[in-house]
Amino acid sequence: MTGSVVATAFETLERSARERVQALRGRKIRITVQVGHCSRSVGTTQVADALAASLPDTAYLAIAGCDGACFDAPQVLVTGLSGRSRRYARVTPESAGRIVDELSGNAPSGEDSDSSFFSGQRRITLDGCGRLAATDIDEYLVHGGYAGLARALRMTPEEVIDEVKASGLRGRGGAYFPASAKWESARATGRTPRYLVVNAEEGEPGIFKDRHLMEGITHRVLEGMVVAAYASGAEKAFLYINVEPDLSSQRMREAIDQANRHGILGSDILGSGFGLEVEIRRGAGGYICGEETTLLNTIEGYRREPRLRPPFPTESGLWARPTVINNPETLAAVAYIMANGAEEFARIGTANDKGTKIVSISGSVRRPGIVEVSMGTTLRHIVADLGQGPLPGHDLIALAVGGPSSGVLPPSMLDTPIRGGLLHESGVMLGAGGVIVLDDRIGIPEVIRKLAAYNAAESCGKCTPCREGTPRMVEALDRLSTDQAPDADLDDLRYLVQIVGPASLCGLGQAAGNPITSALHFFGDEFFVQAGVL
Amino acid sequence: MPRDIELLRNTLNEKFQRERAQLLPALHLVQHQFGYLPDWAMEAVGRHLRIPASEVYGAATSYSELRTEKPGAHTLKVCTGLGCLLNGGRELLSAVESALGTPPGRTTADGRITFEETPCGFLCGMAPAIKIDDTWRGRVTPDSVETIIVEAGRP
Repeated sequence: MTGSVVATAFETLERSARERVQALRGRKIRITVQVGHCSRSVGTTQVADALAASLPDTAYLAIAGCDGACFDAPQVLVTGLSGRSRRYARVTPESAGRIVDELSGNAPSGEDSDSSFFSGQRRITLDGCGRLAATDIDEYLVHGGYAGLARALRMTPEEVIDEVKASGLRGRGGAYFPASAKWESARATGRTPRYLVVNAEEGEPGIFKDRHLMEGITHRVLEGMVVAAYASGAEKAFLYINVEPDLSSQRMREAIDQANRHGILGSDILGSGFGLEVEIRRGAGGYICGEETTLLNTIEGYRREPRLRPPFPTESGLWARPTVINNPETLAAVAYIMANGAEEFARIGTANDKGTKIVSISGSVRRPGIVEVSMGTTLRHIVADLGQGPLPGHDLIALAVGGPSSGVLPPSMLDTPIRGGLLHESGVMLGAGGVIVLDDRIGIPEVIRKLAAYNAAESCGKCTPCREGTPRMVEALDRLSTDQAPDADLDDLRYLVQIVGPASLCGLGQAAGNPITSALHFFGDEFFVQAGVL
Repeated sequence: MPRDIELLRNTLNEKFQRERAQLLPALHLVQHQFGYLPDWAMEAVGRHLRIPASEVYGAATSYSELRTEKPGAHTLKVCTGLGCLLNGGRELLSAVESALGTPPGRTTADGRITFEETPCGFLCGMAPAIKIDDTWRGRVTPDSVETIIVEAGRP
């Protein structure tokens, strides 16, 4: 019964979206400007303003998020009546005028300027990102959006859990815990109310991917949220966004308002009887805020400190209620799975790691940005083919993968395929998917000291091993570069790493030694070279 | 200041329920309004939310983006994350330092600009990046530093 109500409600929504989008597009050329948190720093707002001011009657303007080709920003896409698009890179307010002149009623000529960046990827969560208007629910619906939600609402929550379980999806925040297992265990408590918290803190240096989703394909994140809340029986969701990207917050707010107006949020979603309210919360800085129990303390109004686990948040989270915490990328994948089926998703990736992963590439690369690739793709493909690193004239010395809780890999490890969990036993993990390409302009000791100092500064101070141990690691590294007794200091360092990890309360301390362990494993000698001892 | 307290009390009454979960949103509002968290404002927030002032202070000082000390009229942050360092961030940092005559972590003697390093601005694709008040600028070259500082309001 409910099933047919949902189907009818969704069809009505789709039909009116199609009508509205067709009316808007009419017989006009579409100019899409990609405006995002990062690209605004290189003048994309001014480009959008310039285009808006000189727009001919034959064209209309759409504001999208960025598609991840940061190296080409500001980017403008011109889509002709035939549907073919041309990409303009590094547009300035001045050159925007020439784009308008070129239009003169004709379909654009030429193809995307640098399509190998995109053809080497597998975009499912980022699909439409940078092309669809960032906060237009109708464009998302016409693109096939919310079909996954409509399907989920015609199933029981248990069936949704089973479907996502069958897909093999594991959490994209860095821990790779099966997404469906969290929903299941929150539901199994039988207690209400339950909460969904979206961990969009993304405070790890070197990653900027969740922001692209929240700025470019807002409704996909929202769709995944509603599915996750439905499956786990949560009636209220908190979307927790880092303090830095105001644009993510603004656009998600707009998307939430639209969804409320269209009956995709609120008390009776698509006539299913299921209701969800979404509230946005902003972080206030700090890597550790992304640690899930710290995030809960932050929402409740306490110091940014982790809680003891167990109990796990799915049993006792926000205000001691069952709470599911998911990452935006995970939720975007959930939307794909519900729309296309578990099998389609499971076909992507490897036997153990299903689906895709968004990777943030930066450092010594010609094409910094975000890319989405199948699990199992090699680092070489990501770094060399997609990122085109290292920069000409420089030698690759290492990759810093997975942020300050992970470590560094030497060039000899370039053929390592990406997967959830450890990439190397010395503690190098994919984490949330940051890859910083390091070349000969920086030394491994400096990199490791930087990561160690970051961990020490971010340590919250709650547990002694991490509070006292992380600064001692930095001191030992400093002594290594001046001291005459490197052997003793290396012993110190190894000892510190050995005790701080297992004795620390949360992931920050537990993983704080990883950069050092991986560097000692792969580059042991370089610390001595720096010290001038060898 | 008594007038400030009065205004803040009214805003708090209007916008925030008296529950602890409103602490961070309330502190964000105060910082947005005053540029930092004055002691009296933290006390007012505590009174409104029924949280001891000591706990408000404890929570506030645990977040890296909340300030309990008054910054200069403008803030200038240079990103020194690995991506930025490699792509000219180091040169940028020293260019700013010599233009301001102040090391990072300090405010210029005339009180106009607070100069800081940030471990990552999350615009790694636009390296090197610099933030003036609330605005990020990417792909910044050391020779544009003077202009940026002038634009930031220094005579």
